[in-house]
Amino acid sequence: MKQSDVLLQVTDLKVHFPLGGGLLSRRPRGTVKAVDGVSFHVNRGETLGLVGESGCGKSTTGLAVLRLVEPTSGKVVLNGQDITAMNRRELRAVRRQMQMVYQDPFGALNPRMRVLDIIGEPLVVHKLTRSKAEYRERVYELLNLVGLNPNMAERYPHEFSGGQRQRIGIARALAANPELIVCDESVSALDVSIQAQVINLLEDLQKQLNLTYLFIAHDLAVVRHICDRIVVMYLGRIVEIAPREELYENPRHPYTQALLSAIPVPDPDPAAQRPLDPALQGEVPSPLDPPAGCPFHPRCRFARPECSQRAPVTVDLGGGHSVACHLYDPAVAGSAAAV
Amino acid sequence: MASVQAETTAAEATAAPAPLLRVRGLKTVFRQEHGEVNAVNGVNFDVRPGETVAIVGESGSGKSITAMSILRLIPSPPGEIVDGEIEFAGRDLLSLSEEEIRLVRGNEIAMIFQEPMSSLNPVLTIGQQLAEPLIVHKRVQGKKAIRERCLELLRQVRIPDPERRLDCYPHEFSGGMRQRAMIAMGLACEPRLIIADEPTTALDVTVQAQILELLKELTRTRGTSMILITHDLGVVARYADRINVMYAGRIVERGTAQEIFNSPKHPYTIGLMESMPRLNQPAGTRLKPIPGQPPDLSKLPRGCAFSPRCRFATERCRQETPELTQLSAEHWKACWVDIDEAV
Ligand SMILES: Nc1ncnc2c1ncn2[C@@H]1O[C@H](COP(=O)(O)OP(=O)(O)O)[C@@H](O)[C@H]1O
Ligand SMILES: Nc1ncnc2c1ncn2[C@@H]1O[C@H](COP(=O)(O)OP(=O)(O)O)[C@@H](O)[C@H]1O
Ligand SMILES: [Mg+2]
Ligand SMILES: [Mg+2]
Repeated sequence: MKQSDVLLQVTDLKVHFPLGGGLLSRRPRGTVKAVDGVSFHVNRGETLGLVGESGCGKSTTGLAVLRLVEPTSGKVVLNGQDITAMNRRELRAVRRQMQMVYQDPFGALNPRMRVLDIIGEPLVVHKLTRSKAEYRERVYELLNLVGLNPNMAERYPHEFSGGQRQRIGIARALAANPELIVCDESVSALDVSIQAQVINLLEDLQKQLNLTYLFIAHDLAVVRHICDRIVVMYLGRIVEIAPREELYENPRHPYTQALLSAIPVPDPDPAAQRPLDPALQGEVPSPLDPPAGCPFHPRCRFARPECSQRAPVTVDLGGGHSVACHLYDPAVAGSAAAV
Repeated sequence: MASVQAETTAAEATAAPAPLLRVRGLKTVFRQEHGEVNAVNGVNFDVRPGETVAIVGESGSGKSITAMSILRLIPSPPGEIVDGEIEFAGRDLLSLSEEEIRLVRGNEIAMIFQEPMSSLNPVLTIGQQLAEPLIVHKRVQGKKAIRERCLELLRQVRIPDPERRLDCYPHEFSGGMRQRAMIAMGLACEPRLIIADEPTTALDVTVQAQILELLKELTRTRGTSMILITHDLGVVARYADRINVMYAGRIVERGTAQEIFNSPKHPYTIGLMESMPRLNQPAGTRLKPIPGQPPDLSKLPRGCAFSPRCRFATERCRQETPELTQLSAEHWKACWVDIDEAV
């Protein structure tokens, strides 16, 4: 029972990009450790949030999960099948089960294709319909599902607003009946009133179709609204994982605390605002040259000598809450756990 | 350029000190093959000395064009300011010569844009770009004095290691650092008004917070006024004294932050508040989106532009455009419906 609850298991995933030393040189100039040893799981039917500031490796993680970029090492297991070990043919079969909805509905849609064929493409790729009529029928059904009128099937992407295009992107992702959908900043570019429409749609579809979401976003109010559990990343690593309430009420990692303090709360009452973490200065360092030890230590107000020397281990705090910080490591003298 | 709205009432004259900026009946259009885009369609608002006034609204509602109209930066053709008054420190900006408005820009009114890269010159060092307004507007003389003043500006916006940074080019700066440099440039001439158009939209939230805190502090300590343009209601709640809510080229509601967030009176403002996931709400509370889509500004409906999406709309709303009317000292709305009776 417990085993089958986990739809996706990611273990020690690394994605390193070599930076070329110029057009003709083969020697890499360095390596961007975009994802550097992340482990997490997603339960069937839940929404797992992946948050962190830009460049921390969220999209690369999402792409590697779908094997749209090649992992450098580590394991991605979907429904008990190790995706990282699959060849092309096996991969094509398993791709049906997982789809992506991108941030930019404009860029992601082919401008010269009719909506009919944009949404229907996965049906063709995976040979899911047997006749023209059945194909059209299924596309109409998908349009209805995402709240668009089937008579829009003959139109082209430029004729639609941002919110409508995002619905088209969602319909396309649903075409092959996937179990897992990776939403990469899928609502980030939309205006609030339209964003709310799409969030509600994603929630309804999840219930209706028992979908599982890996929801990548940087807006922490949206993430709190839609996610059951949340993974916080910083410079290619996971710094904290916790159930939603726990993360927002009781953030443990100094980075999570700083991140939450920086969200402007839409309430003018000063008491409603979390006081801005005064210690939070500077910006995320370059992933080409990440700080040694804990990657957050140069910006951390609790940083101590060991923080720049050793990478922290992940400490399980119980109740699904874990944190990678020396402060909570019982093996580190003077940590919160040790006192 | 007549048509001053009937908004200059006794209440306004007595309630507050004379505004630094006074915008009345501003209309800016873009002429296109298939008709006119009414980007700004009769906007009225004031900015008082020392206050931060927000303009919020969704994309395409006319926020940036309002700001660019104030500085007369509208590309013409296709754009044109066709009506209204813009009075800044007692002068009518719309009747100034090109030469005179250029002296106002950067000197008395500074503009900070969303994407600093597009307003920084890639081939000049940060130091050279900081020095320019000092030489042109402030007549600072002597290499040493200029350098000193530039360093001071970089320190004020908390750019670390300013000596070295002065000789860097914009591409060597991170996004947050570039925005700090833009602010430093904006501050160089000690403007009386800063117009910040989505100054942190391209930045990460931790950097956004640092930049907004910096702007808040700098405006407070110098008594500078600011127009803060954003689509982010959280930012507005935290940093604005008064808020103008914009929809389809018009201001539909104005009030203090308390009034707008705690007792919004325009159905559009109410809709925005209900659409937005809030951190102080039980998680999972279902959002209530505003139905439909924002209007096409070249085909505005008759009457109130929000009426096709408004659950309270009446026949009158579909026929006549409501003007901003005063509800209390600071609270105004442009809506025919009495919300408190309608719900
Ligand atoms: N194809 C690539 N080649 C080289 N570097 C990359 C590539 N894709 C992403 N990166 C780098 O990896 C890091 C993580 O990127 P990304 O996963 O897009 O972050 P996020 O989605 O959190 O903003 C960034 O520093 C980015 O520049
Ligand atoms: N150069 C232009 N030509 C035609 N229309 C324009 C131009 N610039 C802006 N507009 C239109 O003016 C309206 C208001 O734009 P803007 O003020 O930039 O909105 P925002 O509130 O997002 O800042 C938009 O509908 C936009 O399409
Ligand atoms: Mg990304
Ligand atoms: Mg704008």
